Amino acid sequence: MAIHADAARAYLDHASGPILEPRVRTAMAGALALDASPDGLHEAAREPALVLEGARTELAGLLGADDPDEVIFTSGSTEARNLAVKGLMAGNAALGGTVVVATTEHPALRSAARTAAERVVEVGVSQQGVLDPDEIRNAVDADTAIVVLHHGHEEIGTLQDLPPLVAAARAARSDVRIVIDAGATAGVLPLDVRGLDVDAVVVGGPSMGAPAWTGALWLRPGARMHPLIEGGTQELGKRAGAQSVPGIAALGAAAALRRADGAERAARMDALGGRLIESLVAIPHVRLNGSARARVPGHVQVSAAGVSGDTLAASLGARGVCVAPGSSCTGAAGRASQALQALGLDEAWTRSAILMTLGTQTTAEQIELAATAVAEEVERLRAMAPGGAMAARGR
Amino acid sequence: MSRRRIVDALGTRCPVPIALAERAAGRLAKGDVIELLADDPMVVVDLPAWCHERGHSLIGIEEAQGGHVATVLLGDVGG
Repeated sequence: MAIHADAARAYLDHASGPILEPRVRTAMAGALALDASPDGLHEAAREPALVLEGARTELAGLLGADDPDEVIFTSGSTEARNLAVKGLMAGNAALGGTVVVATTEHPALRSAARTAAERVVEVGVSQQGVLDPDEIRNAVDADTAIVVLHHGHEEIGTLQDLPPLVAAARAARSDVRIVIDAGATAGVLPLDVRGLDVDAVVVGGPSMGAPAWTGALWLRPGARMHPLIEGGTQELGKRAGAQSVPGIAALGAAAALRRADGAERAARMDALGGRLIESLVAIPHVRLNGSARARVPGHVQVSAAGVSGDTLAASLGARGVCVAPGSSCTGAAGRASQALQALGLDEAWTRSAILMTLGTQTTAEQIELAATAVAEEVERLRAMAPGGAMAARGR
Repeated sequence: MSRRRIVDALGTRCPVPIALAERAAGRLAKGDVIELLADDPMVVVDLPAWCHERGHSLIGIEEAQGGHVATVLLGDVGG
């Protein structure tokens, strides 16, 4: 029998798939009842076309875009990341063959850069995951076509101060294409795509309360981007093929909600996240990963020495506390997190991480329940593991 | 004051660049300007034909960065 997320005792995996709010679910269900393609020239196509354009307008408004046509819907943030890097490289070959990324950048961006670029230059971060503008400036040279910057890190939760980073990249090369990964922050923190002076912004559904299989890319007119998926005029030729009208309806509904309540929701998630962090770091030999000060609201990743992150996540799941192991993107890979390794942490920490991401419905009671469960499971697993308790004490 | 809209058709092939120009024109008015970025070689044939058919003026079409940048001054949209 399927267990629904909202029936969990504490569902803290919203970054992987948020519990949908009623208005989002209703919008999606309504669009499912529309059978015609929005591309049709007949009356039946009108309603789905209006759904698409309404969602586009809401998302453009959330991002501070001038024109809804600057928003390209995708199947999620991973596709948007690939589209941004590969598409901009293809359209801007005259700028050079180099992409600059952080050592902690999302695997999809790193992979897309390796595929599309002749050279990938990696910029290190501090032990809290913070990028230094001077390092960005020094990394950009005459062959740099694209600089990728994340706003909030999807795993460790560190928030970057984007304006100085963007300014540093532009100071080194004014015409470089700048891609912002806002997959963890769109709908959570304010974004003004025009004011940022960047060329593309990646957006994912979960951060604003839409399904994980929804997302978009904002593209500055004139940025010059080739499509990845060719052969149609959908999404202004930048992403051909039939659009997922129900998914886009959900994304638009979520964007509308966040335009109305984004600040209040973020403040609540931040406060609850802070309480969760306080409770978790009080557990012996448990550390918070990422910056304690500059964090994505409601985003908590901790490592528990002497314990496997995968095992801890599974144990918590058995108790109805839903969390992600280490990274919501690569948990199934069985590897240590690349991002945690890039922070300079040793293996005991990189393999013992769990990630908890809060959402609209998260309550203080769920936070308390989760923290208690983590403490009990960590103690139990350490006692079971050979040398587990000793390894923990060694930290 | 006339509006100027960039239509990025890079990476697309006939008939997509013209379809995108048509769509953009439908959202603009007479006297507005479309700047079409395209790297489909057929655009040098298709765009003048489209302008002629629709009553728009092709101000110029220049080679740039492996493709073309074309400037179109819109006539009566829908005409």
